[in-house]
Amino acid sequence: MSSVGGFVRGFPGQFWRRLSLQERLALIFAPLAIGAGVVTVLAIVLLGPPFLDFLRANLPLVRFAVAATAILLMTVPTAFVIIYLELKVIARMNLRVGPNRIGPWGSAMSVVHGLKVLSKEDFAPTGADTTVFTLAPVVTYMASVMTLLVIPFAPGLIGQDLNIGLLYFFAVGGLTVLGLLMAGWSSFNKYSLLGGLRSAAQIISYEIPLTLSVVGVILLAGTMSTNRIVLAQSGSLFDWFVFKQPLAALVFFIAATAEANRTPFDMTEADSEIVAGFATEYSGMRFGFFFFAEYVNVFIVSALAATLFFGGWTAPFNWPLAYNLNWFNPWSLGFFGWAAIVLTVLVIGSEFFAVIVKLLGGREWSAWDAMGLGFLIDLVLVVGVLGLAGFIAFDWVQGIFWFLVKTYAFVFTFVWMRATLPRVRVDQLMGFAWKWLLPASLLNLFVTATAVVLLNR
Amino acid sequence: MPPRRGADRPTSTREKPQAGGQPSTDDPRIILDRQIGADLFEPIPPYPPRTEREGEFYTLADGEMFLNVGPHHPATHGVLRLVVKLSGEQIVDVDPVLGYLHRGVEKICENSDYYHVIDQVDPLEYISSLFQEWAAVLSFEKLMDVTVPRRAEYIRVLSGELLRIASHTLYMGFLALDLGGLTPILYGFIERDEIVEMLAALTGARMLFNYFRIGGVNGDLNHEFMSRLGDWMSRAARQTEASAGLLNENEIFVRRTRGVGILDRATALRFGVTGGNLRAAGVPFDVRRAHPYSVYPELDFNVPTRTEGDSLARYLIRVDEVRESIKIIDQCLHNMPDGPVMARLPRLLRPHPGRAWGACEGPRGMMGVYSISDGSDGPFRFRIHDPSFINMETVPTLLPGNLLADTMAIVASLDPVMGGIDK
Amino acid sequence: MDRTLETRLEARLADHLRGPVYQRHDETEIRIEAGSVPEVLRILHDAVDLRFEILADLAGVDTGEVMQVVYHLWSPLTSDWLRIIADGLSRDDPRVPSATFLWIGAEWLEREAYDMFGIVFEGNRDLRRIFMPPDYTSFPLRKDFLLPDDAARSPGAGVRHVERACAPAALADDPTAGVRRAPAS
Repeated sequence: MSSVGGFVRGFPGQFWRRLSLQERLALIFAPLAIGAGVVTVLAIVLLGPPFLDFLRANLPLVRFAVAATAILLMTVPTAFVIIYLELKVIARMNLRVGPNRIGPWGSAMSVVHGLKVLSKEDFAPTGADTTVFTLAPVVTYMASVMTLLVIPFAPGLIGQDLNIGLLYFFAVGGLTVLGLLMAGWSSFNKYSLLGGLRSAAQIISYEIPLTLSVVGVILLAGTMSTNRIVLAQSGSLFDWFVFKQPLAALVFFIAATAEANRTPFDMTEADSEIVAGFATEYSGMRFGFFFFAEYVNVFIVSALAATLFFGGWTAPFNWPLAYNLNWFNPWSLGFFGWAAIVLTVLVIGSEFFAVIVKLLGGREWSAWDAMGLGFLIDLVLVVGVLGLAGFIAFDWVQGIFWFLVKTYAFVFTFVWMRATLPRVRVDQLMGFAWKWLLPASLLNLFVTATAVVLLNR
Repeated sequence: MPPRRGADRPTSTREKPQAGGQPSTDDPRIILDRQIGADLFEPIPPYPPRTEREGEFYTLADGEMFLNVGPHHPATHGVLRLVVKLSGEQIVDVDPVLGYLHRGVEKICENSDYYHVIDQVDPLEYISSLFQEWAAVLSFEKLMDVTVPRRAEYIRVLSGELLRIASHTLYMGFLALDLGGLTPILYGFIERDEIVEMLAALTGARMLFNYFRIGGVNGDLNHEFMSRLGDWMSRAARQTEASAGLLNENEIFVRRTRGVGILDRATALRFGVTGGNLRAAGVPFDVRRAHPYSVYPELDFNVPTRTEGDSLARYLIRVDEVRESIKIIDQCLHNMPDGPVMARLPRLLRPHPGRAWGACEGPRGMMGVYSISDGSDGPFRFRIHDPSFINMETVPTLLPGNLLADTMAIVASLDPVMGGIDK
Repeated sequence: MDRTLETRLEARLADHLRGPVYQRHDETEIRIEAGSVPEVLRILHDAVDLRFEILADLAGVDTGEVMQVVYHLWSPLTSDWLRIIADGLSRDDPRVPSATFLWIGAEWLEREAYDMFGIVFEGNRDLRRIFMPPDYTSFPLRKDFLLPDDAARSPGAGVRHVERACAPAALADDPTAGVRRAPAS
């Protein structure tokens, strides 16, 4: 009958028209999700074991892949922390407050910045070479991140212990110049061009004193592997190379400031003359990459300064390196034991603190706010206790702790310099590198080499 | 208001085709029929050069390029466009393009009455707006033969010197900011905020004061103002030394400003530069001493002068001037006479026809007003001579030969305010 | 009010003055012909008993019947401001010799007077508009300036003429015609 046929034919259209947007999306994606889930399970079941065998046969490859991923992932929170640190510290030095609205004491500011750059329109200016324009931030970021592979975070925690570690570091780190030049050239903008050329000239000029000042350290340690350099400083406080190579440390610090394009050497992004230098035409995630790359660079040069001259992950005073918590065997508890502990600690602990907050706070704290704050306090305590336990028990936790303390001390110094110092002019910058730092590092090299030869005789 | 002529009033040109089938001139879609060449965004005007200098400037020699330090720029002290001809990083020539902030103040003042002029003339050098008012009021008082009561004169000097300190503090901060130091500007704003809050207690406004009147000032000193002033005076000298110490001894700052942008004595006189820039070149010309007005003959202060003429000298002169201003404020407070703060004037001000020139020493130089009266309610011609205008005129002479990085060191050290330059 | 200045001026500038020296408050005013501006300024600048070294202002004035150019000078030798009114410029074609030979700072002041009044300063190397856009057709501070008509008639209305990139299509029926060709140079 025509009405049934008509009904059958018209039903899908009518049905579709009556759905809301959410219902329509659910109708499309639910079957797709179920299908994808089925396919995944099948893939794991069928292809899983051969894959695991393959991995087990190539364990170094697995280790490398995990290390590289971990390093890549680590750069993002590090950059977030350093950005927030810079905003807050410079604000305090300027007698201001800095971000304090988003998150507790403004700490979610970086996250919001990240989301903001992600949400911007993605365009390239008229006349720009789009391929190069898009790849420039990628090159800069990857060059920075790749150098993290050879930085020893803790005894046993290093991306890849290359025995030409420092050579690799400077070789790959020099690729940032390429990225900046690409950015400057492809933006079709004279400000960018000037900024890119300035940065290229600056970075190339300062690479020479940078590497020469490090050669002294290499002579003393006898190796280019960063891990072994740290081990060579692991005796006592005065084994650190800063006491044996003070001039090299100073030259390195100054050259590193210039390498990282930080004030007082931030001519390339001098935002009072050339707007934003090479990054003038960049917006959105591309600019976010440059931004990140700069702060990761700060972290890297600080980490390298700490590694080469300040002992890396070694502690300044003798600490009994690992105290065995043998009486506590985590495997004996089993699943339910651990579940019980987690439940107790997290849930009951946060309730406990929530009650205390409510008692002390009184009427201003609603129940939900009190629970939230209680959870936070509980979390901080749990992390603290676990950290302390890890610190005592595992030497790699200690290593990371000391490494981060030293690195962030240098990061703080960089931020401090940015807040206080004005910029050095381009020709004064170049003159300083070629006329002062280069002879100083050469002098240091000769003295060190002579001393090594004489002492070995 | 002149009568509207005819029916052809300007209507919106957006998205509407013009007569003749041409696309609207405001249509943002750019459809290019040629390859994008390197000269797409060159700042070369699309018409043949109008003058000899323009032709000479917009012709590129071998190896030169234009850079448009455009009206949108983080550091040009307002909307200023500098077309810079560069050879690499070295500046060969500069053509400042003005007019982005032109508001027709002189024309508006011709259509206003004498009271309204004081309000209109405030936003000229908005950072130190009492001085434009002072120049206008000096000129009008000469037109109308008005004697200002002594207390009003002292209050004018007091508020003027306070504003001079505020303006110089901001100048120091902006100079440091343009050179890359982030901190001195914020310290400078803290100090300026104190002074500006003081003046707000006195005049009612923080920035465009509208305080001076023909024949006196708008309101007497009040308790709030005096208490803030006393508070500030007890700390002023120490604060000044601290702020100046942030930059005076900073090696990087000194190396970037010493010997940069030297404006020598002869050139400065040929340009007609006045104020701190002229005194840094060695000419001790200060309108308060050379051609005294108000009660400055009774006050004891020095006119700091230096001979080097570079950016550092211009900066140091302003630091010295702040100290001198503190001395003047001190004397004003001690010698403040009693009496009225406004002369008795008719409500409708209709001076006899005549001409008058009044000039005062603002923080940037001599602010002058030439007014012509034709016997009616408002001025027939109201001419403002702004010191920043002449200071900016020296830029095409000072900049060539320096690096692009010195652009800001030089322009910022001349202390331009675009509101005054563009009127 | 400096009486000695009056005598000195009359002595030096006898045949250039077009009227008595007028003094009021702390200003001395003289009137001269437009053509004698360079000589007068040169005498005032160089004479040892006058020495008017600082050019304080250069203004154009439209009196409704004639145009004037008014100079204000300062000298360390007198306590008065000196005002020189170069009078009698016709409103249709006002021309005055430029003062830039003596004070290079007069260049922009004369540009402003040209822009606002249309006074042509002969000898100024750079007499183009300074505040108004380059293709503005009238002179705002003149007394016969009427705003709505002038703005509507100005080809500057709605055209972004600053850089070549955004120029409109030139005289074509095709609305998708391209950027105006560069002027043949």
